[in-house]
Amino acid sequence: MVVPPRTSPRSWRAPAGIVAAGLAACLALVPASASFANPAQAQGVAAEASDAADPSIFRIATAGFVDTFNPFISIYLTPTNIIRYMYESLVQNASEDGEPTAGLAEDWESSEDGTEWTFTLHEGLEWSDGEPITSEDPKWTYEQMMQDPVLGTANGSLVSNFESLEAPDERTLVIHLKSPQASNPGLEIPVVPKHVWSEIDDIAEYPNDADVVGSGPYLLKSYSANQSIELVANPKFWRGGPKIDGIQYIYYTNPDAQIQALRAGEVDFVTGLTSTQMEALEGTEGITTHAGQGRRFTSISINPGSETPDGVAYGTGSAALKEVEVRQALRLGIDVETLMNQVLDGQGTVATSFIPAAFPTWHLPDDDEAIVSYDPDAATALLDGAGWVPGADGIREKDGQRLTIRLLADAEDITETDGAEYIAGWLKEIGVEIDVEATDSDTIDARTSVGDYDMYFSGWSVNPDPDYQLGINLCSTRPDAEGNGGTSQDAWCNPEFDRLYAEQHSELDVDKRAELVHEMLRLHYTDVAQITLWYGKSLEAYRSDRFDGFTLMPEQDGIIANQAGYWGYLTVEPVAEVSDAAATGDGGMTGVWIGIGAVVVLGAVAAILIVRRRKSADERE
Amino acid sequence: MTELLTPEEAVREEEDGPRGGSSFWRYLATKIGGSAISLVMVVVLGFFAFRVLPGDPVRKIAQERPMSPEQMDELRRQYGLDKPLIAQFWDYLVNIVTGNLGESYVYRESVSTLIGQYLWPTLLLTGTAAILAITLGLWLGQRAGWKHGSLFDKIASGTSLVLWSVPTFWLALILLMVFGGTLRWFPTGGMVTPGMRPGDPGYVLDVAMHLVLPVVTMVAVVFAQYLMVMRASLLDEKSADYLTTARAKGLRDDLVRRRHAVPNALLPAVTLVFMHIGGLIAGAVTVETVFSWPGLGKLTYEAISGPDLPLLQGTFVVFSAIIIVFNLIADLIYRQLDPRVRRA
Repeated sequence: MVVPPRTSPRSWRAPAGIVAAGLAACLALVPASASFANPAQAQGVAAEASDAADPSIFRIATAGFVDTFNPFISIYLTPTNIIRYMYESLVQNASEDGEPTAGLAEDWESSEDGTEWTFTLHEGLEWSDGEPITSEDPKWTYEQMMQDPVLGTANGSLVSNFESLEAPDERTLVIHLKSPQASNPGLEIPVVPKHVWSEIDDIAEYPNDADVVGSGPYLLKSYSANQSIELVANPKFWRGGPKIDGIQYIYYTNPDAQIQALRAGEVDFVTGLTSTQMEALEGTEGITTHAGQGRRFTSISINPGSETPDGVAYGTGSAALKEVEVRQALRLGIDVETLMNQVLDGQGTVATSFIPAAFPTWHLPDDDEAIVSYDPDAATALLDGAGWVPGADGIREKDGQRLTIRLLADAEDITETDGAEYIAGWLKEIGVEIDVEATDSDTIDARTSVGDYDMYFSGWSVNPDPDYQLGINLCSTRPDAEGNGGTSQDAWCNPEFDRLYAEQHSELDVDKRAELVHEMLRLHYTDVAQITLWYGKSLEAYRSDRFDGFTLMPEQDGIIANQAGYWGYLTVEPVAEVSDAAATGDGGMTGVWIGIGAVVVLGAVAAILIVRRRKSADERE
Repeated sequence: MTELLTPEEAVREEEDGPRGGSSFWRYLATKIGGSAISLVMVVVLGFFAFRVLPGDPVRKIAQERPMSPEQMDELRRQYGLDKPLIAQFWDYLVNIVTGNLGESYVYRESVSTLIGQYLWPTLLLTGTAAILAITLGLWLGQRAGWKHGSLFDKIASGTSLVLWSVPTFWLALILLMVFGGTLRWFPTGGMVTPGMRPGDPGYVLDVAMHLVLPVVTMVAVVFAQYLMVMRASLLDEKSADYLTTARAKGLRDDLVRRRHAVPNALLPAVTLVFMHIGGLIAGAVTVETVFSWPGLGKLTYEAISGPDLPLLQGTFVVFSAIIIVFNLIADLIYRQLDPRVRRA
């Protein structure tokens, strides 16, 4: 006999029925709300963007830090890239080769001695709010940076040589320099609208993250931290407005999620892929992958015997590395091309020096007489000549010192850990023992800044004008023993290099300056302050079924994202016919069937459970 | 189960005192005192632990961007890194007492404001996941314990333990690939579709859709611990005399379970729930990182890669405080729930 259940306050009901109903409801909602792919092809899921996507909004996956969109303050890559799109500078870097081209200024000339530069602005320039752009705007912008060190946070080094500014008329700006300089002083500094920014109380604290007034092709409309950044096209841009309505940067914390988002059609563009990820995407319908010639070099930095600018030695660098023959032998003993093919799948260009091939004017050509290739016999001869004699185990010795060299590698970077193993193998063949120390990047930073290393993997992103990169190889930029002071590329010092630097710094004739720069790079090469390995390619992928028409920088094999310019997304346009033939396929129906199926199954399960629960123990036994 | 003895032992020690009447207050004072000491330790550790980490935030920035030594010094000055360590520590202490956690290097915003902003998405995610995991775990656990050795028991225990052993990161990525990238049932990341604003029609549904995959991941990897504890403690109760009495009265089997066995078996489970809530919030780091969920976990992850010292200190102190507070609550609740502990 069955007693009807008494409800008591202590009864703890297993909500099987409720759970079942809830789950069923959730599943049934899925087809109604999720945008289903349309399996137009027989393969099932078609590679087609989600229906919800607006064809005139270009969506970019990003994981970039944003400190602020304030152009005086912002340091990080993502906001700096966006600021390039928002504010035109006086002079822009050309997409062809990175050389100076028209920005706000259509034309410029420098005085005979290079200390006075006169810029002429285009006629009829307008800010996005319709106010005219005059020479007062750059004058005011530069003066803020010169007067307040905080406003020089981002670009202070670019105005450190400015003496004074004049704006004799609305379209003319004159920059007086403290000393002659060859690099164009109008480059790289975003010019802000004076009529907006002079009204702001505390300029340094202004986030500039909504409804921006600017002069570039796109303007920031809204920003939601770690979620999205929305830009709108600026029809008043002097080169003509973009062909799309706007850009959305959408945040994806990790690269795998970015790739899934691209596959799902939630974003249209991804950059920073590994070669493995790129291979996985190749052949996916509607997605095009692209390997661009980047502006970054990768090198093995060698401790030349760290000294402070005053000549006091510090650090733990191997004495052997002070001998130029040993450094040259190390370069001859490493097969860079094979290494690049092994650890980078060949996605790069073998380097000559620290100015990437993307800047052909300054880059040291591959056929330069100084350049040597892999030659273990020559390396052996060099070491023999320097008195390093192979010991019992084949490792060379001199005056009782074994030729053992420590190589620091970032344990999280597989190209470094793998690369280190290859290098150790090759160098062992010429009698050099490499002791690989794999550790974390912060430790590497800390140790290299106090000279506690022999060699480590390093690399920099280089700007179109080589002056800064050359400048961090001067004797005076070496840090002190605590690692404070300048930023030095390799803690290297060569007085002849310093002399040439001063000469090129004020050489206004591009051809003569290029010759000087080549001479410096040659000197740096033969002295082996570093073994420059390669210029890695930047691997990108985009939904070519939705967008096309990117401008590369450099135009020959260049990159789309992270350019030193605003060309990448400037010319992007929607692909004419995104076949929208179909939110009506059976894709939606699949979901509905799944929903219905789930309801039926869960209903049955719930019924069985309820029936079983009504039995008492002895009925079951 | 050993961890569950600690409050009992603590209570017993407390109650050895001659005056049993004031024992509750003494117990409370001891527990709160202990938590306060832990908090102070966390605050001090939070400062020094991250300072001894190698890496100079300013040098790191200078590698990404042309910077003169003057600019770098200016940044150090802005960050307060030019002061001696002990002065920095003093500033930090004074700030913490006034509820100010300093200013983030990267976001150039106050850390308290940032943590406030990012706390809600984390609470939404972990709260939903916790409720589901606890409900599912306890319910499956008591069913499995009651039918000890049945097929249901084997399947439930087996599945939950397998999922518990799976690395969170891996499971999250698999779900992301299958249901996000390939099937496209759910979004591959974020909390809301860009352009959607709170209050728009469909906003709630949009957030719910974004919630599914991260919540499923979190529930899958944690519900086993609730299941196993509930199952074990129900097994303990099964042989108790009062259940024989209940059966003798002719009660239906599921009534015996629901009215008599489960309430008693719930005790250790409830303690466990509170003990693990702190851990749940900390465990959100992985899931938030995979699914680009804009919460505290992601903020911590970004702070580490900075290294954004004030933000690291802030998230560390806040996470630790949450865990300490929940452990305190667990201690107190256990004492209230279990008369055996109270009477010792």
